[in-house]
Amino acid sequence: MNIEIKGLSKIYPNGHAAINDVNLEIGSGMFGLLGPNGAGKSSLMRILVTIQNATKGTVTMDGMDINRHRQKIRPLIGYLPQDFTFFSKLKTWEFLNYSAMLATSLKKKERIKEVDRMLDQVGLLDVRERMANKLSGGMKRRLGIAQALIGKPRLLVIDEPTTGLDPEERIRFRNILSDLSQQDVTIILSTHIVGDISSTCHNMAMLHQGQVAFHGAPEGMIAQVENHVWQVTVADDEFHNLKTKFPVISTIPTMGKWETQLIATEKPHEDAKNVAPNLEHAYVFFMENKLGISLV
Amino acid sequence: MMSLRNILTITKFESKVLWRNWFFRIFAILILFFITMFSIAAFSTAGNSRHFITANSWGVTYAQMILLSIGQAAAIIFLATGIIKKDKKVDTNEVFFARPVSNLDYVLGRAFAIFKLFFWLNVIIVVMGLIFNVTNPAMQFNPMTYVAYPLLSSLPSIVFITGFSFLVVTLIRNQPVSIVLLVGISAVIIIYFFDKHGNIFDYMAFRLRMMASDMTGFSGLREILMQRSYYLVTGITFLFATAFFLDRLPSKKTTKYLVGLVTLLFASGSGYLMMNLWQTRLDSMTLRENLIEVNGKWANTPNADIISNYIKLELREDQIVGISELVMTNSTPDQLDRIYFTLNPSLSVSEVRVNNQAVEFGREQHIVSIPVANIAPNANAEVSISYSGTVNEAVAHLEVDQVRYEETEQDFIYAIAKRYAFLQPDYLLLTKDVMWYPDNQIGYSLVAPIKDRNRFIDFQLEVTTAPGQLAISQGEIETAEGGKFKFTPEYPLPQISLAVGNYVKKEIVVDSIAYQVYHYPKNDYFTQHLDQLQDTLSLLIKDLVTSYEHDQKLKYPFKRLQFVEAPVQFAAFNKIYESNQAFVQPEMVFWPEKGGEIRAFDFKRQKRNMDRQAKEENKVLGEREKQANVFNNLVKRVFTKQIGNSWTFDGRDADEPNYAIFPNLYAFNSGIVSQKWSLLNRSISNYLDNQKVAERDFSRNINGISFAEECNELMRESNIMEILTEEKKFSKIQKSVSLKGDYLFGYLGQIVGEEEFKNFIYDWINTNNHQLTSYDQFKVAVLDKFNLEIDPIIQRVYFDTKQPSFEITNNQEYEILDGDRKRYQVIFDVANTGENDGVIAVNFNSKQTSEFSFFRQRDDDDEAPEEAGYLSTVRVGETKRLGFILDAQPENLSINTFVSRNIPSIITLASGTFDVKENARPFEGEEIIVEASSSPQYEVVVDNEDPGFTTFSPIEPTYLRQMIDKIKPSNKKYYGIWRRSYSKWLATTGSAFYGQSIRSAHFTRSGKGEKITKWTPDLEESGFYDLYVYMMGKNQNQFSRRSQNRNYTYQYLIDHGDGEDEINFNISNAERGWNYLGSYYFDAKEGSVVLTDKCEQRTVYADAIKWVKQ
Repeated sequence: MNIEIKGLSKIYPNGHAAINDVNLEIGSGMFGLLGPNGAGKSSLMRILVTIQNATKGTVTMDGMDINRHRQKIRPLIGYLPQDFTFFSKLKTWEFLNYSAMLATSLKKKERIKEVDRMLDQVGLLDVRERMANKLSGGMKRRLGIAQALIGKPRLLVIDEPTTGLDPEERIRFRNILSDLSQQDVTIILSTHIVGDISSTCHNMAMLHQGQVAFHGAPEGMIAQVENHVWQVTVADDEFHNLKTKFPVISTIPTMGKWETQLIATEKPHEDAKNVAPNLEHAYVFFMENKLGISLV
Repeated sequence: MMSLRNILTITKFESKVLWRNWFFRIFAILILFFITMFSIAAFSTAGNSRHFITANSWGVTYAQMILLSIGQAAAIIFLATGIIKKDKKVDTNEVFFARPVSNLDYVLGRAFAIFKLFFWLNVIIVVMGLIFNVTNPAMQFNPMTYVAYPLLSSLPSIVFITGFSFLVVTLIRNQPVSIVLLVGISAVIIIYFFDKHGNIFDYMAFRLRMMASDMTGFSGLREILMQRSYYLVTGITFLFATAFFLDRLPSKKTTKYLVGLVTLLFASGSGYLMMNLWQTRLDSMTLRENLIEVNGKWANTPNADIISNYIKLELREDQIVGISELVMTNSTPDQLDRIYFTLNPSLSVSEVRVNNQAVEFGREQHIVSIPVANIAPNANAEVSISYSGTVNEAVAHLEVDQVRYEETEQDFIYAIAKRYAFLQPDYLLLTKDVMWYPDNQIGYSLVAPIKDRNRFIDFQLEVTTAPGQLAISQGEIETAEGGKFKFTPEYPLPQISLAVGNYVKKEIVVDSIAYQVYHYPKNDYFTQHLDQLQDTLSLLIKDLVTSYEHDQKLKYPFKRLQFVEAPVQFAAFNKIYESNQAFVQPEMVFWPEKGGEIRAFDFKRQKRNMDRQAKEENKVLGEREKQANVFNNLVKRVFTKQIGNSWTFDGRDADEPNYAIFPNLYAFNSGIVSQKWSLLNRSISNYLDNQKVAERDFSRNINGISFAEECNELMRESNIMEILTEEKKFSKIQKSVSLKGDYLFGYLGQIVGEEEFKNFIYDWINTNNHQLTSYDQFKVAVLDKFNLEIDPIIQRVYFDTKQPSFEITNNQEYEILDGDRKRYQVIFDVANTGENDGVIAVNFNSKQTSEFSFFRQRDDDDEAPEEAGYLSTVRVGETKRLGFILDAQPENLSINTFVSRNIPSIITLASGTFDVKENARPFEGEEIIVEASSSPQYEVVVDNEDPGFTTFSPIEPTYLRQMIDKIKPSNKKYYGIWRRSYSKWLATTGSAFYGQSIRSAHFTRSGKGEKITKWTPDLEESGFYDLYVYMMGKNQNQFSRRSQNRNYTYQYLIDHGDGEDEINFNISNAERGWNYLGSYYFDAKEGSVVLTDKCEQRTVYADAIKWVKQ
């Protein structure tokens, strides 16, 4: 599915512009939306899934304006909101069945089969009889993705899916998304966890204060930080000195010293060596140098 | 716009969610438990159900739906407002908002989920009712009740409150606020609109009059359906409105507008229904106001009298077609050029003929006026009036104020419509009150009193009914093929009535009088309980008639007495100008369907009680004896009133139904007609009726003073004519008229001799059976017989607003020996300190009745017959000493002061111990005391009515109490003791309190000593005083099982010349009257006594303190 966002703004009645003149083009595959809290990611997603109106601008999906063709577009969408809570009194399979009945026109037998297939796909078949609210955090997110996927949507909008998950669940979740991205599905993944984007998305945008600060492939963003990521092992007093001057990405205590990675446009220390950047480095660099947000 | 599949899907899962909701489960368990317990008590054989609860086959489901209604509405409010939980940042709903589901699908799906849940709850309750029904042989099975009430009561309530809750929470977007608002609105409907405006606002159908009859089904079904449809349609409107306003983007704008349009359409429908409903009510109100006004226009217009009225009537579905052939006579001294009749305004007149010539006629509401060629005095005219149509019941009981007229009739928890006539294809019941035939008596107006008719009428009635129906009316009956009946009363009557239905007749002739019982075939629950009386019934009836005629000193004057079962909705009020309610017609009593709420009809229970009592007394009662007892009890309690109840309400807010046949002995048989004293005939009727009335006025406990005392106050401000034409509250007019009548004849009887005067009237009636006589003849006869001019007396009683005021003092009670015979002497002085002469009636009761006997009374309690009261006139300024010598020791003495300033107007003094007084001079009768005896010692009494009595309370009432007081300020001086304020002292009245003409005390809920009352005497002399406090009796007559063996104290603080003392006075040893508190030195003009609210009893009373100088 091709999504074209033009001049999109959302201004709330109190005057706060959640998104401001956003222009994006999103094709098939995983698309990452990155940005700090309050950047406007959730507002953009709610507009994309037709539960909120934009104040200005247009969004088209495969050429269909979402304001005018909601009825046609809604069956094509799967949505997993950020703070998704479950009905406390439905079993796992019942909840999925409920979604399936609304999203598909499958007959009962086929629907039950599809529900079980989906539960299997997200690894929840063993707990199909368990009350949905009794699932662990990761299981709940997986059930959330299952309900979003149940109608075989062409656009999957997922808002902050891995927040609060343990590493194992996060990896499992990323794998599910990666598998999905192999199919002809557009997945918009909104997160402030950089690793989720770098490990799954081929295309991304970074939002800041409701505007697109970067749009392109993650590699394009990483390229901008080339030669600006440094690693140095220093003693305690020097480490504190560096920390006050440069954004520190990581620190590992080593033999009474600190092995530190930091972002700097100039060589920050005589012993510093350039290291290969990743998306996290790029994100920090972007925040510090392009957007003027001091992380020091 | 709407997908059934989506709606059903949402319904399926949302109902599952709701079903697993603990709130719903707990609610369902509680309501089922509550209704089960209630049903066991009320409807099961295990609970020994009362006859009147189970008699009506519609009752079981109706009762259950009433009980369910409020709880169900509350539960739905809590569940339905969960449709949007805006307190959560993002909720589950959003997942579904992104689905291809329309707003309407979503709203309807969630609504149906609630409906589904409550549907099953209703089904369980209905099935429970069905089980109780089929397992209780006393209950009839009626399949319709299991369908009708859930549909009429529950369904519209559920839809309405669901829609209303959805809409409110959607607009307000806050669940807790919405719940508070919705619960508040429901509470206002239950509390504030309770029984107001015909219960139009009662969406829960908690008080909507839906009790159906086994004879006629639902009453006012059109209004019921309209009201319920209104809430159903409004609920649907709210659901669509919710879909319109829902905080979710619509699929299509056109869909949204379409939903909006449908909302408007439903809103229009609901508005139309409400307007219709309101208009129906207004139409009735307007019609009644118009009729009163039109009556006023015609009230003083001379008219001809009716000599005879031959009515031919045909029933055609829900209409009647009639022709009335009347013979009129001009009894006025002038020529008449116009005669007029009253006829129900819904009956249209097609033709009027006078002396066989068709004439033009005018119609103004219910008045048919006919211009006639001059009718000379004493000349006759023949008039024929053809009419047809329905009967509008709103014309009945015009004198009844709107509030009382609209109030719901209630038996048990059933809300019953009030019907004054029935005209439907399968049943008809018509009385004079609905003007179903032309008559010449103008009804209630604000211009002039209703005038008595000058003569009784020779009626004849021909009725054509549907095949299989039985017609019942006055007179000898001739039946013919094709549902034709002809009734020819043997005597002229003031009115006739007609009932037609599928009646069954039972008859027995005793001493040439036919006693007939008409009932519906399925309603014969009584034969099985009286089956052993077949041989003895005639003897029983003979005994009852003999005893009744002996008590009333009048003969039953007709050839038949018909007891006709009437549908449960048939209602009647007391009347101002007549002594009978519409239940009693000439030769006829309309008894309530299966006995209604009247306990004497509950034969089974009475027999069981008799068995129990017999067992306690080691006796064995035979079935025949029990049957004879229940039969006697029924007749004496209900139809002859030879047995009275101990307690009653006083008619302030409701009229006790009266089925007593006494009007047949006087009002339908004879009468003394006065155009000047329009209330005279009714007063005579009251005077002659020797029925036992209830002894205790229960409502003092609620209102502080009795209704009679309230009316006495009214009569001090207005004369009877002003009351008749200006007072708006029907019950006050009715009661004032009744009190004036009692006073008038009490007074007349006193002047000429009670027994002689009564015998004179009995003779008058017996020589003037079946005809009316004029007051002028009566007046002359009284003058001849007693040399008494009664006109000025009547004038004074009716028009003088000055009232007497009696003080009862010097009450002495002791035992005397009359030869070898032990007898009981009671003496007291009565002083009239008021502004008018007055009459008192003194009665003694040897049966113990206390404040608590109301709660202890059994329905088979038999009252001992009372001695006739002793009447005495006490003139202004006079003091009389009255003495009575009694054979049995009385339990109490009651002094009825009739129309007076006294509160209580009936003073009941419990007797103390009767000590032997040797050599006492027996004194019986009365004597005027020239000089009242005075105490040899100087004494000062400070009563709570005196200026020296003050109260103080530092306790603030609750905000709610303050708010209620602010909304509904009260200028009441006295309060019932059931309203026990914790924050202030209130005044109340009662015979047991101290007082001169007003016996009152202050009372409050007991506390920690903060609230105080203070008695400050105006002592003229310094010195040592004995202090006495006035008490009602041991523990201030407050009864509780706990108090039996406990001592309670009142805390008194005495401020005397030597300082201050605290006395904890043991009220558990107190005697009725003055109790010694202590002796102290008081300086002149100094000192006081304080009573605090500190006591372990729940109520503290402050009455009077007496200082007696040593």
